[in-house]
Amino acid sequence: MQGPYDELATQMMPRILDGPRHTDIGERIPPVGVDDRAEPEAEPKPAAKKQSLAKATGRMAIATMTSRITGFLWKVLLAWVATLGVLYDSFTVANTMPLIINELLLGGVLTSVVVPLLVRSQDDPDGGESYTQRLITMAITILGIGTIVSTAAAPWLTSLLMDDSGAANPQLATWFAYLLLPGLLFYGLFAVLSAVLNAKQIFGPAQWAPVINNLVIIVTIIAFALVPGDPTIVPTSMTDPQVLVLGLGVLSAMTAQALFLVPALRSSGFRFKWNFGLDERLKEFGGLAAWILGYVVVSQIGMVINTRVLTAGAAGGASIYSNAWLLFQLPYGVIGVSLLTALMPKMSRAAADGDHRRLVGDLSYGSRLTTLMLLPVSAVMAVAGTSIGVALFALGKGSVEDAERLGQALAVSAFGLLPYALVMLQMRVFYAMKDSRTPTLIMVVMTAVKIPLLYLAQALLSPTHVVLGVMMVNSLVFVVGAVLGQVWLWVKLGNLRSKRVVGVILFTVVASVLGAAAAAATGMLVPDFLGAIGGAWVTLVLQGIVGLGVSFGVLMALKVDELTPVTRRVTRLLKRG
Amino acid sequence: MGTRAQRGALAPGGVVGDGRYRLLAQFGIDERAGAHLWRARDGQLRRDVALTMLVGDPADPEAALLGRRTLERAAHAATFEHPGVARVLDVLSLGSGISSSEGLLGIVVAEWTKGTDLIDLVAERPVEPGAAARMVRALAESVDQAHQSGLVLGIDHPQRLRLTPDGRLRLAFPGPLPDATLRDDVKALGSVLYLLLTGRWALPGGPPALPPAPKSPTGRIVPAKSLQPRVPQELSALSVRTIEDGDHGGIRTSAAILRALDQAAEAAERAKQPAEPAEPDGSVWTTKKPSKDRARRRKLALGVTALVCAAVAVLAWLGMMAINFFQDDGDTSGPPVNLAEPTAEQQAGQNGGQNGGDDGSDGNGNQQGQTGRPVQPSEITVYNPEGEGDSPEDAPKATDGDPSTVWRTDLYKQQLPALKRGVGLLATFDRPIDLSKVRVVADSPGTEVQIRTADSPDAALDDTEVVGQGKLDGVNTMISLDRPVESTHVVVWVKALSGQEPEFTSEFGEVKFLPSA
Repeated sequence: MQGPYDELATQMMPRILDGPRHTDIGERIPPVGVDDRAEPEAEPKPAAKKQSLAKATGRMAIATMTSRITGFLWKVLLAWVATLGVLYDSFTVANTMPLIINELLLGGVLTSVVVPLLVRSQDDPDGGESYTQRLITMAITILGIGTIVSTAAAPWLTSLLMDDSGAANPQLATWFAYLLLPGLLFYGLFAVLSAVLNAKQIFGPAQWAPVINNLVIIVTIIAFALVPGDPTIVPTSMTDPQVLVLGLGVLSAMTAQALFLVPALRSSGFRFKWNFGLDERLKEFGGLAAWILGYVVVSQIGMVINTRVLTAGAAGGASIYSNAWLLFQLPYGVIGVSLLTALMPKMSRAAADGDHRRLVGDLSYGSRLTTLMLLPVSAVMAVAGTSIGVALFALGKGSVEDAERLGQALAVSAFGLLPYALVMLQMRVFYAMKDSRTPTLIMVVMTAVKIPLLYLAQALLSPTHVVLGVMMVNSLVFVVGAVLGQVWLWVKLGNLRSKRVVGVILFTVVASVLGAAAAAATGMLVPDFLGAIGGAWVTLVLQGIVGLGVSFGVLMALKVDELTPVTRRVTRLLKRG
Repeated sequence: MGTRAQRGALAPGGVVGDGRYRLLAQFGIDERAGAHLWRARDGQLRRDVALTMLVGDPADPEAALLGRRTLERAAHAATFEHPGVARVLDVLSLGSGISSSEGLLGIVVAEWTKGTDLIDLVAERPVEPGAAARMVRALAESVDQAHQSGLVLGIDHPQRLRLTPDGRLRLAFPGPLPDATLRDDVKALGSVLYLLLTGRWALPGGPPALPPAPKSPTGRIVPAKSLQPRVPQELSALSVRTIEDGDHGGIRTSAAILRALDQAAEAAERAKQPAEPAEPDGSVWTTKKPSKDRARRRKLALGVTALVCAAVAVLAWLGMMAINFFQDDGDTSGPPVNLAEPTAEQQAGQNGGQNGGDDGSDGNGNQQGQTGRPVQPSEITVYNPEGEGDSPEDAPKATDGDPSTVWRTDLYKQQLPALKRGVGLLATFDRPIDLSKVRVVADSPGTEVQIRTADSPDAALDDTEVVGQGKLDGVNTMISLDRPVESTHVVVWVKALSGQEPEFTSEFGEVKFLPSA
């Protein structure tokens, strides 16, 4: 058993193929704790090709940023064109279906089992060709069946995800589902193919494919804005031009994303042939895959309930939530992930050596740095949330009210940013220790807390405020996750030097509160005559600068140790510039 | 005398070994062999080295002999490699590397060990027992290895040892005494353990900076436990048994020490547990995998889990209350944002609001005095026997007393009854109401409304009875029934929608049921 598990220590947590996945087609409504399938930590063969990898990482960062930006752009565009209302809701719900099903069919198994084996199979006598053929054959078969069955079951899936007592429009969502679910085949295939390419040390195409996907969607949205009609008017039909344009456009985006990888795969010398059969090596992973699959299933259950509660509320719930979630994740995506990328190889090495002291040291350092970077940001987010929402989403047809609601949802959940980042860090430590069981159990507890709280939100809050409650519950659940992660890591590792972390958190909280107060005061100075959107932009920029400036200024004045490298880097940059 | 005379030459900045090594700082003296322990800079290779310099008068044949013996042993040790022992880089003796004028008998050059002085380590307070056991264990491993290859390390002086940054004890200044034996190394292990636990040195010839271990009247060393109550029995006994020239139960080999240390470390871990919270956090040594207290931690962790879940549930409830509070509040303070409705509806809401005032006076029965006060239905739902949708969750807004909150049908492309015959609101009363009029406050001109009575909440449309009808025109419409009807279920049925091709919809701000007076 030693062999595969060792490899997993370095292979599993990066979830290589997930890199591209999270910017593409529609955000999965939050992957509750499923790790932020981020970034090109792709290190399939740490020993080999170190240098080219470093270069590749740089280029991949550009690709990732581009795909993030375009991904965000189309969501905002859709909000401008279609408003954060019933149509966007129905589309969001339908768009998550292929993601959920793909995650259930392939996601867990792929990352935990198939990818490590894929990397290993490159050393086979045939360079892994037959293993890859088997893998793709298996993926096409499973995805094909899954696509047919789920498309047939689209109405049922809609009724599972949507609560029809609310303002949501299940009929419309079902039409979208019929159009989008066939994309499952290509969506899953894209994940598999990019894993294959990564294993062959070809990183570019898989990173750029989501950009293609996003561009196609953007074109689709422009077309959508031009065609007449309003599918929210009863009676709806699937042949309404707007429904068709949006559904088929996004479907072709998914297709384009997968097909984009085919030329790269061919030029790598790989030839596909149907090759049925299971690789013997797959069996070694049984238990591990089961836990990962459990993690996936539990998180998807949480997500389904989440969507149901959202759609039971006022119109716009699902779309506001998915966009607020996207914004919420943004600071982590930029700051947290780059930090993790740097720390992760060190941590997995320490874990592989069984050097718990170094592992704890890195974990503690990572937590402290994350705290320093993210807490001030979340303080500003809490103060400027409404402005962020209005500034970004009130353009075009988008109404200021919906944008404000989005911003408020962001503001009430901003406190969860740090816990969220800590959960991600902790999960990776667990996986680095080859423990896939504890993350699943933590996920179970988180979901068990989350579901009743979601229903509580539904019961206590008026339909328009449900989305605020849901975002807040999400953040609170991450607080649970972060505490649990810390406690169970303590059970496994002993003293985690948490006191230092708590100390840094306290310092940062003080600084952030001051920053938030300064930002709030700044907000009052912004004159009214700028109009809603102009005012929001001015407020946002001013509050951002003042809030972050004050927070970090206070931190520097307090001489927090962990800030020194950052300060040094900043001063160097300033000197250079 | 000779030693003393030469001491002046050994000062920071001075050079030894034919000018190759520049002395940086002294780290101690092993008085027993006249060995001066220095950190120095290798001028040729530009690296730091540890020098064990044997100071003595080269003219004294006996001293020279002993010196040579030490150098020989050190040269042997050069072949030995272990992370617990600094590698011997060179051995300089009189004539080869050292001139007779330097007042030295020889120098053992070893790689420099980064870390902490042992004496500094125990200067403030003794080391925590579990950590001490682990440090000594690292040293005992190297002793064990050396002994297996027949080498004596000569660790029997605390200043020759250093603690590396990763928490291992290391022999930093090699060069065993001429007469040192394997047994001395083992005794030294016990003594180092004793030193870490108590801050006292138990062997003869220790540095003056360290207090010697106290002895009982019988001449035996006082156990570490009596000096430091925190020290577990196992470790205390281990150190004493190793140091004393054992008659009963003495430990004589490094392998035995290793075994005993493992057991003692485990015991220390157990014993330490209750004191855990009081422990200073910076102690780097406590992070090793605990062995026996897992179960206890697990229980504690489960408790914390439950506590956190409960706390978060309370927080969530409070947070939602706060959201409700601020949002109700916020509507008045912020810009006129009615989050409930799309902007198009605000106009209607305001109109409705103006009529709200009239409504109050109507209620007083000033319209011909024929009706009583409006009766509030106990329940109001959307009556939609031929379809679904039409905002069922908003139905209560039609009777909530606030005309600015509305119940609205879906948006239809074609006028009713193209898709279905209609849709309505079903009001249920606790007691049968003697209905005479229905007042509708709405901004949906053109809407055709029927008042129907039903026997049950889920009656089919054909089973209901039309008792009155009207067409909404202005904002305020009174629909009078032909004659008062007694019923517990009243349907306000929308037969035709307001609006025109291709968008039809109707909405009710408020519906009042007026009984006959």
